[in-house]
Amino acid sequence: MSRRHVDELDSVEMPDGFVWRPIRRAFDIRAFGVNAYSVLESGSQIVEEHTESRLGHEEIYLVLRGRARFTVDGNDHELGPGQLVFVRDPALKRAAVALDADTVVLALGGKGGEAFTVSAWEAMFAAVPAAREERWDEAIRIHEEALEDEPEHPALLYNLACMESRAGRRLDALLHLQRSVEIDPVWAEHARKDSDFAAIRSEPGFP
Amino acid sequence: MSGYEILSIDDLDRYTSTSASYVLRPLRRRLGFRPFGLNVWEGPGAGDQVIERHREAGGDEELYVVLRGTARFTLGDETFDAPVGTLVHAPPGTLREATAVEAGTTILALGAKAGEAFEPSGWEDFYIAYAHLHAGDADRGRALYREALEREPDAWQGAYNAACFEAVAGDKDAAIEQLRRAVALDRSAREHAATDTDLDPLRDDPRFEELVG
Repeated sequence: MSRRHVDELDSVEMPDGFVWRPIRRAFDIRAFGVNAYSVLESGSQIVEEHTESRLGHEEIYLVLRGRARFTVDGNDHELGPGQLVFVRDPALKRAAVALDADTVVLALGGKGGEAFTVSAWEAMFAAVPAAREERWDEAIRIHEEALEDEPEHPALLYNLACMESRAGRRLDALLHLQRSVEIDPVWAEHARKDSDFAAIRSEPGFP
Repeated sequence: MSGYEILSIDDLDRYTSTSASYVLRPLRRRLGFRPFGLNVWEGPGAGDQVIERHREAGGDEELYVVLRGTARFTLGDETFDAPVGTLVHAPPGTLREATAVEAGTTILALGAKAGEAFEPSGWEDFYIAYAHLHAGDADRGRALYREALEREPDAWQGAYNAACFEAVAGDKDAAIEQLRRAVALDRSAREHAATDTDLDPLRDDPRFEELVG
């Protein structure tokens, strides 16, 4: 597929209310990070509040259609088509709310001085529809594919363990959860409260 | 330098091509964005070229996003009209071109090479240097291309483009010197020089004959 209109991209409705429109995945782009976001109704979050501290990415958000109110480093800016915000500092908090129902924001990002690598969050976003509909095999496959690029990514391993636990693959779930906790112990705390692990919580070796 | 910046694409500088109708509005340079290449291109009138006909011989993967108007794209063997919001993906070897169906058609172009850290390419400096030269400010253009030469001292294309710049600017000695460097770096520069009209002011100079044959 060499061309697509932004309205023809997949729509992945996220729990926070924004809709992820994957561009990089649609074309299997390997050289840079690019995605779009839309909303189901005016007033919804279109860019979730976050920083890029972990990835160190520089980001540009460009309004393609409609209007959005961006909040960056505590300051509000209302932007329309052709206007953009460039967040140079990865540590700054950024978020946006759509002011029109048809607002579309392009998000461009990457780390200066390094070859682009696909961010693990893309797989986690991409698996949301399958997980919502309890199509566990598909959700597991999406995570396994992402782990081929980043085999030691703790959040990916943790999410994979969640899906495997829900799918009844108890041993796989336990092994992947243990590995994520070995890499970053913070995942043990998450696991203790996570209902996805009801099936394996009493297993020996559960963190 | 602030941690973030708000900008409209209308705030970007405009550089009309000296050989075609399209206008470059350099976005990456303006922001100091480092992860990949990013520019805005405009076709001022209906029928004007917006994206020149080319392949990315250097291996860059590109994505074009139509921001305003409607663009008529040619991608490989296919031609299609692309309204606002259309995304066009061009792998490195694919021939691509876009013209404006409506006046003011504007396209965002993203590009980089997979698996490599992005480095700005010298063509942007030379494009803008030429625009300054044609606007009557050769010194400003010269300062810009010299930065590009310092960044990529071993690229024959840089020395060759500098020769063209100086030939058009009327500094024959500087042009011959740059052409000599270009030929020393890569003898294929001679083939380009043989037919390049930018170098016409040098053709009756015996040093040119000696270099190009």
